[in-house]
Amino acid sequence: MILLDVKNLTLELELAGEWVKALDKINLVINQGQIHALVGESGSGKSLIVKAIVGALPNKRWKITADRMNWRGQDLLSMSVQKRREIVKSDISVIFQNPINSLDPLLNLGDQLKQSINIAALPKHLFWQRNQYKNRRVEELLHRVGIKNHERFLKTYPHQIPSNLLQKFMVAMALASDPKLIIADDPTRGMEVTSKAQILRLLSRVNQVKDTSILFVSHDLLAISSMSHCMTVLYSGQTVETGELQQLRKRAYHPYTQALLDSAPSFRKDLPPKSPLTTLAGTIPTLHHLPIGCRLGPRCPRARKECVVTPSPRKIHGHYYSCHYPLHWAGR
Amino acid sequence: MNSVVLRYTNLMVITLIVLSLFSFALAYLFPGHPIENLTGLSTEQLASGYQHAFNYASGESLLVQYWHYMAALFNGNWGFSFHTGLPLYEEIKHVLPASIELSAYALIISVLVGIPLGFLAALNHHKTTDYVLLSVSVLGYSIPVFWLALLAIMGFSLQLGWFPLSGRISLFYEVPVETGYIVLDILLSDIPNKRSALLDVVQHSILPTLSIAVVTTTLIIRITRRSVIETLDTEFVQAAYARGLSTYQVLVRHGIRNALIPIFPLLAMQFTTLLTNAMIVETIFSWPGLGNWLIQAIYHQDYPAIRAGMLTVSALVVVFTMSIELTIRLMDPRRRRVRRGTI
Ligand SMILES: Nc1ncnc2c1ncn2[C@@H]1O[C@H](COP(=O)(O)OP(=O)(O)OP(=O)(O)O)[C@@H](O)[C@H]1O
Ligand code: SF4
Ligand SMILES: [Mg+2]
Repeated sequence: MILLDVKNLTLELELAGEWVKALDKINLVINQGQIHALVGESGSGKSLIVKAIVGALPNKRWKITADRMNWRGQDLLSMSVQKRREIVKSDISVIFQNPINSLDPLLNLGDQLKQSINIAALPKHLFWQRNQYKNRRVEELLHRVGIKNHERFLKTYPHQIPSNLLQKFMVAMALASDPKLIIADDPTRGMEVTSKAQILRLLSRVNQVKDTSILFVSHDLLAISSMSHCMTVLYSGQTVETGELQQLRKRAYHPYTQALLDSAPSFRKDLPPKSPLTTLAGTIPTLHHLPIGCRLGPRCPRARKECVVTPSPRKIHGHYYSCHYPLHWAGR
Repeated sequence: MNSVVLRYTNLMVITLIVLSLFSFALAYLFPGHPIENLTGLSTEQLASGYQHAFNYASGESLLVQYWHYMAALFNGNWGFSFHTGLPLYEEIKHVLPASIELSAYALIISVLVGIPLGFLAALNHHKTTDYVLLSVSVLGYSIPVFWLALLAIMGFSLQLGWFPLSGRISLFYEVPVETGYIVLDILLSDIPNKRSALLDVVQHSILPTLSIAVVTTTLIIRITRRSVIETLDTEFVQAAYARGLSTYQVLVRHGIRNALIPIFPLLAMQFTTLLTNAMIVETIFSWPGLGNWLIQAIYHQDYPAIRAGMLTVSALVVVFTMSIELTIRLMDPRRRRVRRGTI
């Protein structure tokens, strides 16, 4: 069953008086029970997608348009703000990338975590046990993400806690409402290996046990390959290639996906020791200087004249790519 | 937390000492003999029998003189007015409550009106309500206080006759001075017509209070509006929306507290504007307060009175500002602890 279906999501923002497409025709489909990875370089617009989905962008200075943005068949963009928040509240949790900024600095962590707890699981006639129930849930959640000293922890304020603990706390907060979809924006950034493994294992387990879908935003290809079913590759605000992870790994059609996979040594079986890693020349363009057409153009080894026209997505074997001159495609 | 309190107290004491040094220096800076400027008595008077009141040390070094000055200050021995010949400490004790009363009314009204209107404007950012409130507040801020006060007198007292022209209470009522705060005094006293006396006081205070409150209210509206808009733009407010909270819930749980924290220090800084305006308005309405009194002293070149009045006003400002700053620091968990050398 399709949970989230986004088609041609375009987000424009005003930069120095000009409207720039920070996201250009993004397509994303998340099925129930899947872990969907979203990868791309820094600044490629991953966090913007996350914020656009849950409506966490202040509505001025942004223009969001999409052919559709459906949550289980209901269009999120055309419904009232009220209704949309209801849906997000009951079904979607977000782990934002920057925990210290996405927590209220004046409330202690306990209060903030309790706000997210879903009390629907508690029978209505037991309403006087609500607080007790919440306390029990809070304790359980913190232990699940590996925070031990929970009583002291809950009394502290966000600025007193190191950022990797806050990241774990954000995971606990996302789990608190028993969502159908967890959007994790770089949940393990900068974590040390054991914590990272713990969080990834936890997310995988939640996915398996509760059939929760996860949109997993990350740079960490190794982590992604070990747990995700599908992957969407993003470059400079455009979806470059989408498909099942195994297929993408075996046969990437888009030059950027190939470059991304080649740059990760753990994906290369034939790599001799001490050989240099391949990279694409150049860097991701800034929003002020976006190339026309395929945004990879200036860096792409296969670019030709036709690439100044934006390639439209093409489908082969349940696998989408947007490129005029794809790899492994001798027919053209 | 204790160390924060200690630091603020420390800062306050040092500032007050600097102020007292300055007021002592005024005695030398004003024309005339320093001892006359300090005591308010002529040298003949001093020679002929006032010595018991002033243990002055005119021949000693400046430091010793300052020490004696401070001792006198703490004994409530502030010198005499050139103009009236009365002890300054008593005079100030008499006029200060009237000023505090007036400023407090104005401040309370501005806060009660300004903060909700500021929130209203911010919540309707880029809409008509916002633009109207903003224009009105710019207009209110641009009107000079003295002119506004004169217009109010002309309109409401002279033409319409709704409010009395000047003063604090009409002469019919004889309220024994107990605390100096007239409302309290009336409540404490046993005069027969308390209710009508109170009404009279309220009528007298309305015009001066409103004249002062207009500027402060417009300031508060703009400060509040700015702060609320900024708070609503922060990531954690957006994150709260993404958690499915309604606008009202976000405002109550996260918005209000976070928006108010930066407002109060700015408000404390506006206290000086408030006091200055209060002084002007007091003069226009013949309100028997410190401002009126100080301006009279300036007219009469009453140096001891100017010195004492200036010291009182500045000490008041320092104590008030510091207390608000301290309260804010204790309210904000991020800043409760002293931090040094953070990058
Ligand atoms: N509030 C904003 N105002 C203007 N530009 C913004 C804003 N937020 C993001 N951007 C721009 O949008 C682009 C995408 O940013 P985004 O945060 O989505 O990147 P990202 O893919 O999440 O990167 P990272 O991996 O570093 O998190 C960047 O070029 C950024 O400069
Ligand atoms: S469309 Fe052209 S520039 Fe873009 S990735 Fe394909 S070959 Fe490269
Ligand atoms: Mg990001």
